[in-house]
Formats: sequence, C-alpha cells, structure tokens
Amino acid sequence: MKSNLLTLRIKRFHKERNPQRWIDTFQVEIRERMNLLEALLRIQDEQDGRLSFRYSCRGAVCGSCAMRVNGKDVLACRTHVEDFSGKTARIEPLPLFPPIRDLIVDLSTFFDHYRRIEPYLHGEPVSPQAEYLMEEEKRGEIDPYVNCILCGICFGTCPAFKKDPEFLGPAMLAKTYRFLVDPRDRRKDEILMTANTQQGVWGCKTVFNCVKLCPKEVPPTHGIVKMRRKILRNRVASIVSRLSSLFRHSSSI
Amino acid sequence: MELLSHDVLIVGGGLAGLRAAIEAKKSSRDVAILSKVHPLRSHSVAAQGGINAALGNAPAPSKDTWKNHAFDTIKGSDYLADQDAVEVMCREATERVVEMEHWGTLFSRTEDGKIAQRPFGGAGFPRACYAADRTGHNLLHTLYEQVTHLQIPVYEEWIALSLVVAEGRCVGVLGLHFFEGRIIPIQAKAVILATGGYGRIYLRSTNAVINTGRGCFLAYQAGVPLEDMEFVQFHPTSLWGTNILITEGARGEGGYLTNAKGERFMERYAPHLMELGPRDIVARGTQTEIDQGRGFEGGYVHLDLRHLGREKILNRLPGIRQIAIDFAGVDPILNPIPIQPAQHYSMGGIPTNADGETQLPGLFAAGECACVSVHGANRLGGNSLLETLVFGERAGRKAAEHADKTKEVPDQRAFQSHLREFQSGVKEILERKKEETSFAIRDEMKAAMTSWVGIFRNAPGLVSAKEKIKQLKKRFLKVGLKQKDLAFNHEFIQYWDLEGMLHLAEAIVEGALARKESRGSHFRVDFPNRDDEHWLRHTLAFKESEGAKLDYKEVTMTSYPPKERTY
Repeated sequence: MKSNLLTLRIKRFHKERNPQRWIDTFQVEIRERMNLLEALLRIQDEQDGRLSFRYSCRGAVCGSCAMRVNGKDVLACRTHVEDFSGKTARIEPLPLFPPIRDLIVDLSTFFDHYRRIEPYLHGEPVSPQAEYLMEEEKRGEIDPYVNCILCGICFGTCPAFKKDPEFLGPAMLAKTYRFLVDPRDRRKDEILMTANTQQGVWGCKTVFNCVKLCPKEVPPTHGIVKMRRKILRNRVASIVSRLSSLFRHSSSI
Repeated sequence: MELLSHDVLIVGGGLAGLRAAIEAKKSSRDVAILSKVHPLRSHSVAAQGGINAALGNAPAPSKDTWKNHAFDTIKGSDYLADQDAVEVMCREATERVVEMEHWGTLFSRTEDGKIAQRPFGGAGFPRACYAADRTGHNLLHTLYEQVTHLQIPVYEEWIALSLVVAEGRCVGVLGLHFFEGRIIPIQAKAVILATGGYGRIYLRSTNAVINTGRGCFLAYQAGVPLEDMEFVQFHPTSLWGTNILITEGARGEGGYLTNAKGERFMERYAPHLMELGPRDIVARGTQTEIDQGRGFEGGYVHLDLRHLGREKILNRLPGIRQIAIDFAGVDPILNPIPIQPAQHYSMGGIPTNADGETQLPGLFAAGECACVSVHGANRLGGNSLLETLVFGERAGRKAAEHADKTKEVPDQRAFQSHLREFQSGVKEILERKKEETSFAIRDEMKAAMTSWVGIFRNAPGLVSAKEKIKQLKKRFLKVGLKQKDLAFNHEFIQYWDLEGMLHLAEAIVEGALARKESRGSHFRVDFPNRDDEHWLRHTLAFKESEGAKLDYKEVTMTSYPPKERTY
C-alpha cells in the first residue's frame, strides 16, 4: 500500500502563553479510510500530548468533534483525510465561540440559548398507563427537527449569530419549531411569542448555511420560515377579528 | 481545602445517570451530576435499535406480557441472570417507557398511533419500542431536557479520580476539574456510579472512545468486587473497519446475513430464529463463517437490506444507512453492508441489588457499569436501554432515601488526608522518568484481549493473555509523562484510564480462565458445553496486589429452571 503523508496546520490557543495563538504543523501517515479524528488522536498519542480537542463516539452521532477544516465546518470523525493527501489541511476551532484551548471552544452561549427556549415537553396530563396517540405521518414531520445533535456547526456558520450573539441561533429555533409542531406540547401561543422577536425568527438572514452544513440534515431555516408564516397568519387573523368586531359594534349603534 | 458538598452525586451523564438524577431530585434534594463529557456526548446517544417493554402494540397472534419478556430474558441469559431482578425490570418496563413518551420522546408509531415495536434477537414477540433507528439519541435528549427543566447542576468535563471512603462508607469522590487542573474533593451522602461499559479494552469495539470503565475501577479499587466480568458481549453486526454499530433492528426489519457464497448461514446455527437468534449465537456463527474461510477477504460477511426496499430503509433505518454511506461508502438500498463482530456490551460490572445498592454503604451503581444481574451470560437487544431507565430510577430513589437518612457529616479530615495522599501519588507519577508510553501499552493490551479473550477462548490463549497483562502492568509502572501539570493533561488521563483498564482486563481473563464451561457469550473451545452442576453461579473478582482473586455467588431463581438453550 502506497504510504501517504497528511500535513495538518492546526491553529493552537493557550490562554497563558504569549502569543496566545499560533499555528503548528504536523504530519501523519495516512491509512486507508482514515478520518480526521483518528489522525488527531494519533498526533496526540505520538507527537504532542498537549493538543486538545473534544471527542466521544467517533461515529458522527454525539456532536463533540465539530471544527473548521479548510474553511468548512464539519465533524472531524466523518471527514476523510484521503481527500487531503499531498495537500495541506488547515484545522481551526469552530468559529464564533471563544476558544478555551486549541480546538476546544466555550459553548456556554450555545447552551444558554438552549435553556432560554425551555426545550422540554410541556405536555397535557394524560393517563400514566398509556402513551399519547400520534400519527406516524405527524412523527415524520417532527423527525427532521428532533435529529439535532447540538454540535454547534450551524452557529459557527451563521451570519445572524455573528452579528448578534443574542440571536437564538439555528439549532435553537429548529428546536423551538420541534416543540411547536409536536401535538403533545400545549404551549403553542407561548412558543410563537418567544419566536416572534429579533432574537427569534426575525433575526434570521435566510442564507441557508445551516441547512447546507448540518451533519444530521436538520433544516432550521425551513422551521424558521414556517414559524414566520404562522406568526403573520395569526396577526392577520387577529386584525380581521378586531375589524369585524368593530364593524359589528358600529352597525349595532 | 475546597470541599464541595451534595446530598446525591451521580458520576456519569448517560441514560442511567440522568434518570437517577431526575428521580433523586424529587423533593428538592441537592443533586449533582459529574461527567467527563457533556451529558449529550455520553455513549447512550449512539444506541440505535430499541427499548424493550411488553406493551403489546405490534400485531401478534396473542398478547405480549411481562412474564414472556422475563422468560426470554432469562433464557437469553443462558440462565445466569438473577430471576427476581429480571422480573422487576420486565414488570416496570411499560411504566418507564410510557413515561419517556410523556416526556416527549419521539417514538415511531403504529397505524393506530401507538408506540411502534420491532422484533429483536431472542425475543418471542416484537417488543423493542423504537424511534426510527436513533432510539438512544431520542431517549438521551429527552432525559437531558428534563434535567435542564429541573435545573440539576452538572460538573461538565470533570473526571472522578477516586472514591473517598471513611469508616466503611463511601462519603464522596475526588474530582478533577480537567480544564483548570485542580483536584477538588466532593462530599456526598450517596454516590451513584453510572459510568457505562469498558469496551475500549478491546481493539474492535462498537463503544465510544471514552468507554474505559472508570466507574468499575473506582469501585474495584475501593474493595468492591466486580461480578461476571468474563461475560463480554460481541455484537455480530458492526461495520467492517471502524466497528461502528449497525443495529440488530436491521435484522429485525428483515435483513439477511450472507457469506461470500451468498448463503444465509444462520441456518446452520439457529435454524428457527435465523438472523434473529440471540447475539452470542449470531456472533459465534458469523465469526465461524469468517474463520472457516467463507467470509470475504479482509474478514467480513454481508448484511443485506436491499430486499427491504427504499421506503422501509429510509423510514425505519435512516441512521444506519447514513453510517454505512459515511464510514464504508456503501448505500444499503443498493448494496450489502460489510460487517464483522465486535465487542459491544459488558454484562459484568459492579454487583448491586435491584435498588442499585452495592456492598459499600453510600455507594450505588446503575446502567452498564452495574451487574444486578439481569443479563447473566448474554444480554438481549433492547434490554440495555431498558436497564438504564428501570435501575436508574430505582438507584436514584434508593440513594435519595439513603441521603435523607444520613445525618452525620463525615469528618473533613478524611477528605484532607485522602486528598494529600492522592496528590503525593500524582506528584510521584508526574516526576517519573519516561521509559514507556501509555499508548503503546494500551495498544498491546487491546490486541491481546481481541486475540485471546474474544468470541472463542481456550486455555492456552487465556494463559497467554494473563501473562501478557502481568507484563503490561509491570511496564505500566515505567510510564512517564511529558506534561508536569494536570490542566488539559490528556497523557495523564490516558495513564489513569489505562491503569483501570489493565485491572479490568485482568479480572476478565481470570474469570474466563477459571470458568471451565461455555455459557452465553463466554465460549470455551476446550469446554464447549454448559455445566450447570458446577458453574451455575456468578463470578466475583476482588482486587489483590498479585492480580484478581475469584470467589463465587449463587444465582437467584424464581420460576424458571434451567433448560437446554436452542433457537
């Protein structure tokens, strides 16, 4: 088997060092079907035990290893390095989040936004013996929005979040929509109120970066647009009902 | 000395840990979770196929009952499971699963709108409740949403380095704040270990890279024995190469296993249930085909889903389709998936009763790291997700009761002296001259376990493994670390984990060597039959300076006498 070398230029960050940021270049021998996470783990084992990055499942389901590779935000475990053989790959931490160490970033803002949307089912009380009934078709409608693994890639690539860190962000708005369309959640109006703000659906710039890059094919922009439509429809409906009650009032004088 | 304090501290943020926390939090107790990764990155998230409960929602000639489920589980365990504990788990299954649905889990549905159930290996009814093939993801996210709702604090990216034991009780842990490199003692009236399995002892495992068995070793070091360690489950269908799990649900939906000749070879090993035999039987069948030259070059067989059709695959198995595309370049709609067996689950672990209590007062355990035992010598698919919820809930409840009853506060000096002793041990390790590397020793251990303590075992192989681990333990004492402080010190964590893994490996090998029979997933080529007369008992391994010392414990039986196990 032809031996190939992979060259990685990795952006480092140590808070205590001066300068705090610098770039290190590593070379690793490529094995067949190798992915970037394996390459990073080998560098950590054999070359630099201080190189820091997050990982867990290595199977693209846990969301730990999001990072920017050659300008594109990806999961490292799912990035095949054979594509980079003979070339240099630039590895950087996920953008728009403050770095903690090397490729590990601070996701506090991300999870603060998560908590802000109260992301747990507010269900109607039902018998403890039996499940709610739901049509499989309805489940299929909600499913794309439930598959989010909270990896952060959508935030890293979002111009609205870049402009305003208070913007709830694609993943959280997708989750907001997930609860809105779940028939078991009783919050319908409340949820739309949360969404109906500049930090909610109106901050989105509808560039669809999130839809393109989501490793789980969650379509946040689609959910955002659907919520905008619902909000507008409700507004029109309430205007109409106010006008018609005024009309009835004036005609009864 | 900084000393943190809680009523109940849970080590591990996966399904069992989160469910225990939710239960312990009732009545506004002071509960906290400590996890070495963000809870959503726990390996529970990777579970695919389903969670068992006798809901009886799938069309079947008769109604499923928890007793059927219990019988299937006990037979599946090759009669080593403690039958009273199995009955508890199967009886409480419906309540736990329906509760998850009420909390928002997006289960797939039948035509009647009820929770959909699929057939799984070794089960007489379709009882694995599923959410497409992402059941673990759905369950874990639902529990984390509840933990968020209850505002239970999580010490994220902290590592539990040691249990603190005083006056014969577990009184807390020493935690490492990994980013800051500080060791901080945490006092707790009850500690629940929910740290999952230890698959990474093996070279080929479906487990996450983080599954190193930390909780099991914490207990082992504190004098608690480990039970049934030799029973290691090998899943028949992991993706060839990366060993990422391909769910049993793929066979449940009708998938075939074929060798290089195109034969559905399971006819030779489980003529009635075929691909849906229990895992130990299917794994042995698959490995035999490969060993006897009927596999494909490179050592794999095929899982063929093409006849299921595009719609069924997209609807019920979208996750594994994506895995096959991403990690093997194969679309199962068009081509068969290359698969090989790999380590998957640890039946053994910390012995507990049905309430999660261990033999050390104040210490509880639940989930894969515990051994109740409900799986005995072989676990049925769908029962692990179930065990996390049933015993997570029970351990959470019992730990909370224990915390309520515990009035005395342990002397702070116990923490001070333990911390001092521990820190001087760490200092000694950090100052050592580097003669060996952790990763080299780790890789040799993994190779030895996979070669000699895998699906087929024999005395010479096991003796080689035992010798190898002895040597590795000696070489381990010569490992030195480059980085001299603890913050972001990955080498140190590797070192720490490796010590635990070497000891767990030793317990597995000793148990396997001593058990001169074949039962469930433990198969001895030199003793191929089950021997109920001498070996219908649980193994207990105790940590001693020269190695693991073994003792044995009775199996609890209620209504199911051991019978011949055929499928």
